[in-house]
Amino acid sequence: MRFWRSDHVSGWLFVAPAAFLIILFGVVPIGWAVLLSFQHNDLLSPPSWVGAANYRALQHDPVFRKSIHITIVYTLLFVPISIAAALAVAVALNAKIRFLALYRTAVFIPVAVSTVATAIVFNWVFDPTYGIANWGLNEVGISSQGFFQDPNEALYTIVAMTVWGWIGFDVIIYLAALQGIPQELIEAAQIDGASRWATFRSVVLPLLGPATLFLVVWSTINALQLFDEIYNTTRGGPLQSTTTVVYYLYEQAFQFFNAGYGAAVALVLLVAILVVTLLQFLLSRRLVHYTS
Amino acid sequence: MTSLRKLLVLAAFAFLTMAAAGCGGSSSSGSSNGVVNITIWHGYIDAEGRAMTTLVNQFNQTHPKIHVSVHFYGNSDYALQKVLAAIAGGDPPDISYLYGSWAANIAESPRTLVLNNYIKNDPSFDWNDFWPAERQVATVNGKIVGVPALVDNLALVYNKKLFNAAGLAYPTKNWTWANLQAAAKQLTIPSEKQFGWAYVNDASEDTVWRFEALLWQQDGNILTPDGKHAAFDSAAGVKALTLLQQMAVNDHSVYLDSGNGLYANLFNSGHIGMLYTGPWDLSSFPNVDFGVQILPAGMNHQTISGPDNWVLFNNGTARANAAWTFISWFTSAQQSLHWSLLTGDLPIRASVLKLPGYRTYISKYRGVSTFVANLSNAVKVRPVTPLYPKISAAIGQAVQAVLLGKAQPQQALQQAAQQVNAILAAP
Repeated sequence: MRFWRSDHVSGWLFVAPAAFLIILFGVVPIGWAVLLSFQHNDLLSPPSWVGAANYRALQHDPVFRKSIHITIVYTLLFVPISIAAALAVAVALNAKIRFLALYRTAVFIPVAVSTVATAIVFNWVFDPTYGIANWGLNEVGISSQGFFQDPNEALYTIVAMTVWGWIGFDVIIYLAALQGIPQELIEAAQIDGASRWATFRSVVLPLLGPATLFLVVWSTINALQLFDEIYNTTRGGPLQSTTTVVYYLYEQAFQFFNAGYGAAVALVLLVAILVVTLLQFLLSRRLVHYTS
Repeated sequence: MTSLRKLLVLAAFAFLTMAAAGCGGSSSSGSSNGVVNITIWHGYIDAEGRAMTTLVNQFNQTHPKIHVSVHFYGNSDYALQKVLAAIAGGDPPDISYLYGSWAANIAESPRTLVLNNYIKNDPSFDWNDFWPAERQVATVNGKIVGVPALVDNLALVYNKKLFNAAGLAYPTKNWTWANLQAAAKQLTIPSEKQFGWAYVNDASEDTVWRFEALLWQQDGNILTPDGKHAAFDSAAGVKALTLLQQMAVNDHSVYLDSGNGLYANLFNSGHIGMLYTGPWDLSSFPNVDFGVQILPAGMNHQTISGPDNWVLFNNGTARANAAWTFISWFTSAQQSLHWSLLTGDLPIRASVLKLPGYRTYISKYRGVSTFVANLSNAVKVRPVTPLYPKISAAIGQAVQAVLLGKAQPQQALQQAAQQVNAILAAP
């Protein structure tokens, strides 16, 4: 009787349904992927065990190497740009101005719109011939660009599109954090004669540390898994200039039916994300201050 | 960034539930009261979806010993994965619509029915009545693993108004590549953002199969006859890719579509003079007075066809025989014509053209008569091998590099041929 009444058991009973779902749809597929990565498996004929052959082949795969490079470049651009832009927008929207609710809604709408719809719109916006982007550039005297159809520009166009698509989420987090900053701290700084910029830099920014840490970790994980936007715009091209790691995984598993090889790519990515996230948390111990 | 994950989770879920269903022993389909129950999976919607219901109802009413249930599996692009999951779970459908390009893959499954004996023992079936491209796509190393379900091909679709405005005569069946190139140039008006021609340039199969038609028009081949080496890096291949290079890079007379189908909207709004496309696109052009002509010739007028199949699976002799009875009825000339009348799809059998109702079909759907006539130009098919997706990807990169002005035809094709040879040589 006592056993059933203990907090321990009731706690586990409360989390059991969620835990069951996470294990079924999270842990089991990962375990399955681990097995798959040691197989030659086309999802059709009976699989055969090949040991670490998939991983060895990855080491000498130039397209995989290129996809890592592309993913890193994308992440290094997307994360700082989207977070800095979100901070600027959040500070602007934290002021008392007319139509504030309207602006805040407008900033968040892209997050609520499905990626596919966003991609269809941007395919037209960035069409080299008929797109509004080139029309705008031509109006101010800049010549037309290729955007998605130019191997040297496609990745940067994806960065622009995804920053636009995801900034609303970051803004909401920053707005909440900004409103959690105690007013008396800012007043104290002003009484001490701090300028507005100095107040922002030395009081507001450090207090946003936890929010920034969360956004850096979250955005990095998302950026390393970039797929939808690529699939719906460039499909990894032109000339593989936007073939990210996850897009390459998709190609291998679902277009070429190399499911084992695709699983190996996925596991390498899983480990990379774990390492990057750990590093970020370790670094943050020195950089992020928590108010007590 | 999450929908791939959703897809994987769904796939895993389907796999698990189907595996669980498989463990439960016999499922809903089977035999009761002497009636054999079979299931057929398809991805048809709209007119084709309604036609499916109509024809199957008709079959069930006229065949009391067999009951066919129709299951809609969603987008046909993902059908292979779903069928594979069902096979793994031990309970595949009796019949499924599958793309022709998957024939070589599905032939590797021991559950797939090989149809040679059924065809031999059924004199009314007449396998040779199907178009040559259909028969070749359904045949893997001599084993027939599918019954033709749908056939199409590429032809030249042009905007009559733009031809009139440019003072050009409409394309004839004697057109050559030179006519195409000259007309495209004349139809191009940069200030009005009007292009003579369009080409899908996303390096996918959409890019590749149009190139393959050009290759065959110069008597070239994709692989050597033994299927062991690349053959597209020949003089014929260079000629084909050079035509694309001249038009896209030198003349700027080609709208390069990045693979999202914008070309269809642009043709419908009168910005593009000519397309190489198939009957499936015609309903997207309600605003254009268009004509259809067979493809201009290099050395010949060959086109390319992408037939799809009904694949049958083995769920025991009774159900297999019932599935054969149904599919041979469903793909007979009479029903094929019925289907074409309801949907506008091209007839899958040559003898349909001799049936009295054929004239009604031709007059009901604009442009289809040329596509039907063009079926006799669909002589060759893409290599029937599970390695084809990889071969296609290598050729796609070569074509795209040339169209973007980043490579020369010869060099790009040689590089792709090396990759293909490595793919074919791998154990």
